[in-house]
Amino acid sequence: MSATSLLAIVLILSLIGYFWGRASAAGLKRGGQGMHSIPAYHGYFIALSCGIPSFLLVLIWLATQNTVIDTLLIAGLPAHITDGVETSRMSLILSEIKSIAGGRIFGTPDPALIAAAERYNALRGTASLAMVVSALAVAIAAMSYARSRVSPEFRARNSVDGILRWILIVCSILAILTTLGIILSLVIESMAFFSRVPVFEFLFGMEWSPQIAMRADQVASSGAFGAVPVFWGTIFISAIAMFVALPVGLFSAIYLVEYADKRVRSFVKPLLEILAGIPTIVYGFFAILTVAPFIRDLGTSMGLSVASNSALAAGGVMGIMLIPFISSFADDAISAVPQSMRDGAYALGATKAETVRQVLLPAALPGIVGGVLLAVSRAIGETMIVVMAAGLMAKLTANPLEGVTTVTVQIVTLLIGDTEFDSPKTLAAFGLGLVLFITTLALNIVALQVVKRYRERYE
Amino acid sequence: MSAGHEAKISAAGVSVFYGEKQALFDVSIDIPARQVMAFIGPSGCGKSTFLRCINRMNDTIDICRVTGTIAIDGADIYDPKIDPVLLRARVGMVFQKPNPFPKSIYDNIAYGPRIHGVAKAGSQMDEIVETSLRRAGLWNEVKDRLREPGTGLSGGQQQRLCIARAIAVNPDVILMDEPCSALDPIATAKVEELIDELRERYTIVIVTHSMQQAARVSQKAAFFHLGNLIEVDDTERMFTNPRDQRTQDYITGRFG
Repeated sequence: MSATSLLAIVLILSLIGYFWGRASAAGLKRGGQGMHSIPAYHGYFIALSCGIPSFLLVLIWLATQNTVIDTLLIAGLPAHITDGVETSRMSLILSEIKSIAGGRIFGTPDPALIAAAERYNALRGTASLAMVVSALAVAIAAMSYARSRVSPEFRARNSVDGILRWILIVCSILAILTTLGIILSLVIESMAFFSRVPVFEFLFGMEWSPQIAMRADQVASSGAFGAVPVFWGTIFISAIAMFVALPVGLFSAIYLVEYADKRVRSFVKPLLEILAGIPTIVYGFFAILTVAPFIRDLGTSMGLSVASNSALAAGGVMGIMLIPFISSFADDAISAVPQSMRDGAYALGATKAETVRQVLLPAALPGIVGGVLLAVSRAIGETMIVVMAAGLMAKLTANPLEGVTTVTVQIVTLLIGDTEFDSPKTLAAFGLGLVLFITTLALNIVALQVVKRYRERYE
Repeated sequence: MSAGHEAKISAAGVSVFYGEKQALFDVSIDIPARQVMAFIGPSGCGKSTFLRCINRMNDTIDICRVTGTIAIDGADIYDPKIDPVLLRARVGMVFQKPNPFPKSIYDNIAYGPRIHGVAKAGSQMDEIVETSLRRAGLWNEVKDRLREPGTGLSGGQQQRLCIARAIAVNPDVILMDEPCSALDPIATAKVEELIDELRERYTIVIVTHSMQQAARVSQKAAFFHLGNLIEVDDTERMFTNPRDQRTQDYITGRFG
């Protein structure tokens, strides 16, 4: 029986438990008993007590089953196969056994392996049967225990509340654990990288050329991992993006909140939000097919030399992507300034522009700054637009018409294609990823702090 | 109109509409100079609405429409030639809840003079700030912390700061919309004292829900009911001998 149908059966058992509990409680009630909880809660209690333990059991079983079977297999292999074998070689042997067990036999395998394959199939069969039996046993045992608690005094309502609370706690812990797992895997791979390339050289080196020569006669293949030009590219493109997004986003928010009448606002605001919903790869098309050629032609007509993948094109389009982001944060921040501030300024004879500049913007500044910091962290982490529109060559230049590369672009190119996970070239991607992660994390923390302090002031 | 007091503000046939709804019906009233005029009446009677007509604050509400004329010193303030921004410098306003800007005490006072170009930064501005704070009776309490945020003051101090802020642009008229409703009794007493001193220089119109307050601070009173102006009289006479039955009922606490 597959795990899916097993879970379906557990679900049906829970349903039965629900109706059983409700019916028995309703019976007690009809018998004239004063019940603490309404019958449905007794039903919920039985359903949850029956379903959850059995569901958890199946999950844990599935997660550990393969490891256990592998250990048993290895333990059962004859000495002439396991003697002096490394872990990586052992996993090859295991996969050979499994493919034999699946009926895919190449050449003439060792008879010991064929025996192991048969044992593997037998183990799997036992395991799956054991899982079904124990899951159903747990479900039925839990159901009858829960049923035995149905009584007029039993506080099913409070117990259901308690169970739900635990479900919520487990969900939030899962989210946190996942984040920790991501950080851990990033840190471990980065450690592997930094054991090959010194941290100092990586963070402050001025030359980036991650390709390593396979043959001695290849050119431009020194394998230099100085990431400064790459960091510079990210900073430069993000700066261009903010240069576009900040004024446009902020001014459109001011217009929408303070100047536009209701009809215009109800029309323009959703339009801006559509901009936020466009997939970044579409912005990438826009950058590479429309904006980049436009900038190149314009530059050429003015006698300038413009790279076809200029920083200006990538940064500009990224800026457009960030407009709704900044605009919606600024909109919230300005709307949150109490009406009494506006009244105060108008009553002193301030014009609208004076009120905005001298009263509303200073009061809304923390919220706006928070939004801008979040936008910057989006810009730094943005990948698709720059992969399509920015260059690949790491270059230290302040000329927006030249091409630069970014951290995210480098990560993508380092990991594309056939990669060996023990060469510094591939591992460099994790080093870059770690720096990127730390930067955006710091920016987000600062931004959230700023926004929080601001909220405390007005609520 | 009692002798010696010419009308500072003179309204004729003022009606106010919020969208389709009419909030004020054909109000005509003369408000004398350098006295305190109290607008009283139950909630929603239109007294605040009328107050906000006098400095055209209703202009900031999209759906609000005002008809009729209001003249200050004989000039109609709804004349298209009048700039509402300059009008509001002449007709200051203090609100129900103290609303100091999130700036320093000094900058709160200096804000008005700065935007109207009355004074440049420096000693001239310092002088305006000091005078305004002195007139608002706040100078001695805050003179050592002018650079601290105005929002850090107590509620009563904040309200006097807002009065000082209004005085700083040197208005003729000060409108007060229930200025003490968010204050405790001691702070209220201070603000009332201040209002009494201010009437030497300014024409003051105050909206209040408190009969006692109207009796304490005002010389003239106007009673509004359901968007109509019912009667205007010397405060003393209205409180002892009202002409209209509705005024009598309201003052004696039978409704409102």
